[in-house]
Amino acid sequence: MPACARWRCCRRPPARSTAALARRKPSRSTPLDAQARGWSLAAAAACLLPLLLQLPGTLALGLALTGIVATAASWRRPLPAALRMVLSLAVVALVVANARFAFGRDTGCALLAAMLALKPMELATLRDARSLLGFALFAPFATFLLDQGPLSLLLGLVAAVLVLAALLRLSEMESGEPEVLAPAPRLARVLRLVAIGLPLALAAFWLFPRMATPLWGVPERVIARPGLSDTMAPGGWLDLMNDDSVALRVTFDGAAPPTSEMYWRGPVLWNYDGREWTTSPWFRGLPAAAVTHGPRRYIYDLEVEPTDRRQLVALELPMAVPEGAQASIDHMLRTDRTLSATTRWQMTSAAPVAFEPDLRGTLRAAALRLPDGYNPRTMALAREWRTQAGSGNDAVIVERALAWIRAEFGYTLTTPLPGRHAVDEFLFDQKQGFCEHFSSAFVVLMRASGIPARVVTGYTGGYRNPFGGYWIVRRSDAHAWAEVWLPGRGWVRVDPTAAVAPERIYDTLADRASGGAGGLQALAPMYDMGDWLRRGWNDLVLGFDAARQQRMLRSLGGGDLGSSQLVALFALIGGAALAAMLWLVARGERERDPVLRAWHRLGARYGRLGLGRRPHETADAWTARVLALRPQSTALVALTARFAEWRYARDRGGDGRTLVHDLRAHRP
Amino acid sequence: MAERRLAGLRARLEGLARPRRPEVLPVAFDRRRIYVLPTAFGAFFGALVVVMLLGALNYNNNPALLLALLLAGAGNTSLLAAHLQLSGLRIVAVDAEPVPAGAPLLLRVHARADPQRTRRGLRVDAGDASAVLSLRDGAGEVRLALATQRRGWLQPGRLRISTTRPLGLARAWAYAWPADDLLVYPRPEAEGPPLPHGRGDNARARMQPAGDDVHHLRAYRRGDARRAIAWKPSARRDTLLVREYEQPQGADVVLDWLALAPLAYEARIARLARWVDQAEREGRRWRLQLAQQPAIGPARGAAHRHACLRALALLPPATGSEHGSLG
Repeated sequence: MPACARWRCCRRPPARSTAALARRKPSRSTPLDAQARGWSLAAAAACLLPLLLQLPGTLALGLALTGIVATAASWRRPLPAALRMVLSLAVVALVVANARFAFGRDTGCALLAAMLALKPMELATLRDARSLLGFALFAPFATFLLDQGPLSLLLGLVAAVLVLAALLRLSEMESGEPEVLAPAPRLARVLRLVAIGLPLALAAFWLFPRMATPLWGVPERVIARPGLSDTMAPGGWLDLMNDDSVALRVTFDGAAPPTSEMYWRGPVLWNYDGREWTTSPWFRGLPAAAVTHGPRRYIYDLEVEPTDRRQLVALELPMAVPEGAQASIDHMLRTDRTLSATTRWQMTSAAPVAFEPDLRGTLRAAALRLPDGYNPRTMALAREWRTQAGSGNDAVIVERALAWIRAEFGYTLTTPLPGRHAVDEFLFDQKQGFCEHFSSAFVVLMRASGIPARVVTGYTGGYRNPFGGYWIVRRSDAHAWAEVWLPGRGWVRVDPTAAVAPERIYDTLADRASGGAGGLQALAPMYDMGDWLRRGWNDLVLGFDAARQQRMLRSLGGGDLGSSQLVALFALIGGAALAAMLWLVARGERERDPVLRAWHRLGARYGRLGLGRRPHETADAWTARVLALRPQSTALVALTARFAEWRYARDRGGDGRTLVHDLRAHRP
Repeated sequence: MAERRLAGLRARLEGLARPRRPEVLPVAFDRRRIYVLPTAFGAFFGALVVVMLLGALNYNNNPALLLALLLAGAGNTSLLAAHLQLSGLRIVAVDAEPVPAGAPLLLRVHARADPQRTRRGLRVDAGDASAVLSLRDGAGEVRLALATQRRGWLQPGRLRISTTRPLGLARAWAYAWPADDLLVYPRPEAEGPPLPHGRGDNARARMQPAGDDVHHLRAYRRGDARRAIAWKPSARRDTLLVREYEQPQGADVVLDWLALAPLAYEARIARLARWVDQAEREGRRWRLQLAQQPAIGPARGAAHRHACLRALALLPPATGSEHGSLG
């Protein structure tokens, strides 16, 4: 061999290869690659989307455009810091001005959305991407404070999964692994992580001790959603009457009352100023009036959809005040907290036989008070009726009024705006209107003729969902009626609207569907099914609170648990869930071939006797060694032969399944 | 000041970590020696989840609670997954080709694991060097450039194998401390005098560089170059003949420690190292004569060079006062 070739092999390696291998340590200032940047931006956009859907249209559109423009402008290189600062301040100022400087939950959420839209302006390094993603996770959270509907939930969860996928990409980039996964396997990997964490999450969800009272106040929405309120101005409920969304879901434990008796009693309105009926704040603190309940009792679960109000309704009349609510003297229920989330109430009601048979003087005066100088024609008519009926004949006057209304009045939702003498105009000119007009005019007429009366608002009727057999009360079922006080009987419900349009009050979705669009009838089962699913979700997830948690544990036979016992139970189940997680995480890497798996298990069983197969040993050599030490292990020899046959001459090896079975069955 | 204290604290904490002394490879990582701690981003993520949990519990907002719990669950799973990336990994061997002091030593770390679990993007750190280890079919190798300063045995020290996969929320790491020593040759002198003249019987022999002069023909042996075959003589003799060229006939070079007496101790080693390389490059036979040691050679070739450089590298360090003589 020529000598010149010999030293070449022992020459030290050229210096450049070492330089190529000495990688720079990755740091948080590592620049992002295109993939990581794309994933981060997509995840942030997905987080922003559900929040934008909850914001007012123009604001949301503006923020979305701002985000797109800002991202595009800083795509190649980041904008100068001063420009970013100015832009951020400008957008924040615009958002605050758009909210008319009202600071509430909406404004806070809009600000969060604005910041998130601007954040991609500084997306250059790994650290930027991580802070963007961390920040973005607050957007679905904020969305849930505004809305808990299925769409928000779905979008929020998708966004969270995308954020995790982006984090996965960032971590891959950080570790310097050049291999890039396709989106589908990446998402699959993230979903697997989430799925493995799910048992723990669900155990925590159902067992984590809930706060019965909040630590700090619930932020109010600037714009309230329609719901029953403490006021009623005739003609003012049109929004509510046209809102077909669900207000209540009721499950009766036992028989349900007939629809004509389903009066869901809410705010009781005493004060009338000629235009508007309001509740009386004076009576709120007084203890509830005495009631003798009838024999027929209804036990039911009330699920109230969020309204941002505190008025709670109950079937007339509740026998006890549920925990977390208070009753005023007129048995009107108010909750301690705003009903901003789905809540559940367990109640028992029975129709009253005698409702406050002894009316105190102050209350009587309040129930007779009318503003001076309004509705002269009504006043005159009432006085005339009183003189004709004589004193003490209140029931006759009530009957006369109802007969008059039944004979001459009509039901309509299209009414002109009332003038100064609203009741006069309704009773003598239009003779058409809806529940607000009827109840208001009726109570004024009664008071004018000396009968204590008040307006009661709430819902009437309900629609029974055949799936799950519960009742749905919609916002459009809102209703107002009257209560008059008759000696000996106390307060008696009188519904003047029912005298005119009973079908309007006791209707159901099916009735409405058959009357209106014919196609709706065919879709009704789908609506029913959808609402049933929604209710299940409400029941298990949205409406789950401290009381419901206790109820769940009680139904599992746990009895009443203190919070320390709850924590112990949570720790126990959480620990089990953790163990399950560990098993699931590790299990994914097991041997996929069942025959090999069984073979390895067999080896492990012999390993316990100190006869495990060594890594370098062939199956035959191992068997020979085992046989030499344990002559009784002849079955192993046959098994090994079959295994080798199956593994190396599969066409002759026969059925793998029986081999697996035999391998599993074999015990040394 | 605070930074220094922090570094001190870190050093003390690392002193507590397993293994605490060098160990014989292979080592397998198990739960006793895998550490998992959240990264800075993981701490941020945790704080975020806690804030969400508190907010959701306070407002009794169950979707928000579910979101927070799902994130917490995924984060927790990623903690386990990070641990499992390392669990079961075996560091089977480390090796390195010796290099002269000052040049980076390419440390090869060989890792094995069960092929079923994917282990990608593990980071291996040794001192300031770091590289990415990915296992394919259960085996992986990583090369780290270790800085070398002095000749002799080099301890690779503790290797840190870490990962922040899959979500970057937690870092799992484990140490391997191979007991293997790696050889670092002495740094050869940069500029120096040429090789000393040969001595002994061949001292006057004709210096014949590898040339084209045909010395004689010999029978073909397997592995001979095709162009070395002498076709015409082969045809005449009816058997394959190969031209054998004159071997370079330099006299054996003697590299003698004692002959370099005027030089300082390390300078002598550097010069001898340079001469060893030079003799090998020129294809000369040489003999290395170190004080109080049997002579190495005469011989040539990679193995001989290695033996000589190894002997030089392992000479005990100079002991100050004894200038020029071997202690």
